[in-house]
Amino acid sequence: METADVFRVLTGVLSVLGALLCVWVARVNFGRIDPERKVSLGVATVSGVAFFKLLALAALFAVPAATVAVANYHTVEGVHGVEACNRCHVMTPMVTDMRDASSQTLAARHFRNGWIAKDQCFVCHSDYGLAGDLRAKMEGYRHLARYTTGTFTEPIKFRGVFHNDNCLKCHEGTPRFVAVPSHVTVRARLADSSLSCLNCHGRAHPTRDQRTPGHADYGRLTGEKR
Amino acid sequence: MTDREQPVLPPQDAPANPYRREFLWVLGGVGAAVGAGLAGWGALELMVPPGTADQWHKSVCRFCGTGCTIRVGLRDGQIVDIRGHESGHNRGVICVKGSMLRELPRIEGRLTRPMIRKGGKLVEAGWDEALDLVAARFGEIRDAHGPDALAFYGSGQLFTEESYTANKLFKAGLRTNNVDGNPRLCMASAAAGYVSVYGKDEPPGSYEDIDHADVLLLFGANPYECHPPLWERIQRRRAADPRVYTICVDPRLSPTAKRCDLHLPVVPGTDLLLLNAMARVMVEDGLVNRAFVDRHVRFARDGHTVGFDEFAAFLADYTPPAVAGRLGIGADVIRHVAHRFARAGAAMSLWTMGANQRTQGTALNIMLNALHLLTGQIGRPGATPFSITGQPNACGGVRDTGALAHALPGGRQVTNEAHRREVEKLWGVPEGTISPRPGYHAVELFRALEDGRVKGALILCTNPAQSMPDCDRYAAAMDKAFTVVSEIVADSETAKTASVLLPAALWCEKQGVLGQGERRYQLVDKLIDPPGEARPDLWILTQLAERLGLGQLIKARTPQEVWDEWRHMSAHSVYNFEGMTYERLRALPGLQWPCPTEDHPGTVRRYVEGDDPFVSKGAGIEFYGQKDKRAVITLCPYVPSPEQPGEDYPLYLTTGRVLEQWHTGTMTGRIAELGGAAGPARFMVSPADAAARGVSSGDMVEFSSRFGSVRGRAVTDPDLRPGLVFAAFYDARLLVNRVVADHVDPVSKEPEFKLTAVQFRKIRD
Repeated sequence: METADVFRVLTGVLSVLGALLCVWVARVNFGRIDPERKVSLGVATVSGVAFFKLLALAALFAVPAATVAVANYHTVEGVHGVEACNRCHVMTPMVTDMRDASSQTLAARHFRNGWIAKDQCFVCHSDYGLAGDLRAKMEGYRHLARYTTGTFTEPIKFRGVFHNDNCLKCHEGTPRFVAVPSHVTVRARLADSSLSCLNCHGRAHPTRDQRTPGHADYGRLTGEKR
Repeated sequence: MTDREQPVLPPQDAPANPYRREFLWVLGGVGAAVGAGLAGWGALELMVPPGTADQWHKSVCRFCGTGCTIRVGLRDGQIVDIRGHESGHNRGVICVKGSMLRELPRIEGRLTRPMIRKGGKLVEAGWDEALDLVAARFGEIRDAHGPDALAFYGSGQLFTEESYTANKLFKAGLRTNNVDGNPRLCMASAAAGYVSVYGKDEPPGSYEDIDHADVLLLFGANPYECHPPLWERIQRRRAADPRVYTICVDPRLSPTAKRCDLHLPVVPGTDLLLLNAMARVMVEDGLVNRAFVDRHVRFARDGHTVGFDEFAAFLADYTPPAVAGRLGIGADVIRHVAHRFARAGAAMSLWTMGANQRTQGTALNIMLNALHLLTGQIGRPGATPFSITGQPNACGGVRDTGALAHALPGGRQVTNEAHRREVEKLWGVPEGTISPRPGYHAVELFRALEDGRVKGALILCTNPAQSMPDCDRYAAAMDKAFTVVSEIVADSETAKTASVLLPAALWCEKQGVLGQGERRYQLVDKLIDPPGEARPDLWILTQLAERLGLGQLIKARTPQEVWDEWRHMSAHSVYNFEGMTYERLRALPGLQWPCPTEDHPGTVRRYVEGDDPFVSKGAGIEFYGQKDKRAVITLCPYVPSPEQPGEDYPLYLTTGRVLEQWHTGTMTGRIAELGGAAGPARFMVSPADAAARGVSSGDMVEFSSRFGSVRGRAVTDPDLRPGLVFAAFYDARLLVNRVVADHVDPVSKEPEFKLTAVQFRKIRD
């Protein structure tokens, strides 16, 4: 089971628990609690009133807070998955192509050869470190906003700069990389992404033409009937 | 208080709707949340980093004949980024040279003012002074020695409009056919081969055929280094289908050969034996597609038609066992290759300078085409004979416009009277204007400069003092004559010999059309200004025409005017591309001719019904360039090269290119990333040959041949077979062409750069 799935289940359990606690606390008439009643919590014994106050605290604040925290973990981590990207139909061509065993795009070759074990979209589209992770999520939020408000046109177009670090973090320094003399002489341009790795190594995804409604490949890539 | 009765008001604390307050709170909360979300989105939109460029323009790479479609990124009027164009035939792939195009306009040493040689030195001058001088001197030479004392030496790197105008100016204006250029050094044998076989030049197939081929025969080609996007395409094809089989024929274990499934390291100069032997195996083993041959092919010997039986009998001398020893490969390998090729679902051959730059270049080209015709491996996806080109516009600009000594536009010949009359009519000049004598081909032209037959020459966009074989001899010849050189830098080997040096605009500092290997024409728009007073070569030609009193002939002055004239003229030939307007070329990543109308999509496979508009209905495949519509296979006997290693010169020298440098390095040598990656040129020698001469890797050596000598460093390369030496010709500090033989193919007149007998010895540093 994936970590995100564990957190998804945990979120469900906490939600149900929170609801049950709320119902329980709501049914208690605090004025009629026996002042002499003691409740043992194992490590300590508290009065009945204190117990139900603690229970109310848990039902109204602690469990909801924990549920939100766990749910957010699920949201933040869950979007790393390929399926999260694939939920927006404009991204489907990239995912379909990546999984196409006959495709020769860089994404498909990396996928087919198992060069990236999981979360393939995220791995190549998030820059290094925590800041890179955050930037990728911010970009994801921007995509979500665009998608849900319908403020996009097909074929979608990459905005900004694709940082070569996403390639270099795996390839740089490998024997095959350093065997090419020009990799060394254009190193500074690769580092600042002013020279794209894709120039020599080909397209990462289907072309914009292929992703345009009406193109012969559009139906296959989007899974829609032509 | 007054007596007036106060109106009765509802109690202030009684809300009209008991939930109004909560509703407003909720509404406010939702509004705040939505506002925060929108503000966050807006902020994120603003935070997207700007791309590397503000504007992107479609263009074409300046370097090799692959002719990659690119996107040029501009910021503040400067070129800052280059990307492969994903909609181009190259599907977004370019190479490191193309990637560094951004630096090309800014290279050091750009020539910015015209210069005139005075007292042995080049001194700066104004355009008027320089052009007036050129016109006056050309006029004097013509009047004193006749029009054939003048010559034009052009380039497969000029825009089509420039080559077309130069051709017209010299052939119809100055009335000399002394119009040739550097395509003679690289593509003449391919052109002669195609014309011999199909009656018309240019390949039948397209790069797209790579995507469908099952067997790829790379013959005398090194696309890994010289045409990287094509190599990448071959790699993608191999990855898509592991059954695809690649064969490389090359005396050298080149980077391409290393990566192919089979390498045939033939003895240099013997490869026609291989092609004839493959044909022999095909005949002997029943691999010939007789139905195809009977319908579409004719055989010829010495200009006369012969039958298939005579062809088969001719091949009797080329059985694999009979030629294997001379080829240096096994007879079984020859049979294997012939069978793989013939039995392939689709076989594609790709060749370049290894086949062209040879004294048997035309024969090699004919036989490469012949293998396809014999087996019917032509005219369907993946089955095609394809000559890869070396320069960006040798095909479209020079071969198609007929800017060669023997040619006229649209596949016409100088020696054909009907062709001359047609062209004279189309150019609006009197009958008899065009001389029936073919002009001097490149090597002969420089010999004519040497012995004074030619006294004045205009040289545009090329560096013959470095690129010609036996280059010292021809640089001296240029020194003797009145040469007008248009160049981008002042210190190229050719610029050093100039009588008048003119500063040229390059690439997207001007506008024009480039062709490439697969009959595709693409438009390069002007995006930036040239430095200083540099001008486009078209401007130089039109200004010169005006000063020579030929302004009425050269009426088209802008690139688009020239293009439209040439486009309409092409409609009178089977090179018809009248449908390619500038507007279409600007909108599309090029079009392939034939393309006769503005709604025609272009032709991917020539001679194929349904694709090529000139094929008759119901013909299927029709080689309409020949009168009887049959392709012609001429019997090509093997003739050994005049360059044979012997006692004095026991080694074979072969020359070529390296990945990061292009041609004579005038452009790529000045771009730090490319110069640094290639390093200085050196002689690559086998460890055995080095050891036999007491040479260690890195030692200074002197190479000599019957043509000259040159000094440089030798580096041992264990991949080289003993007896073979390799050097690239990009570096002016190691002018390898000083020792290269200038023997030419008797038909194409292309020199044999690939074969020179040499010797070397160690010298002191």
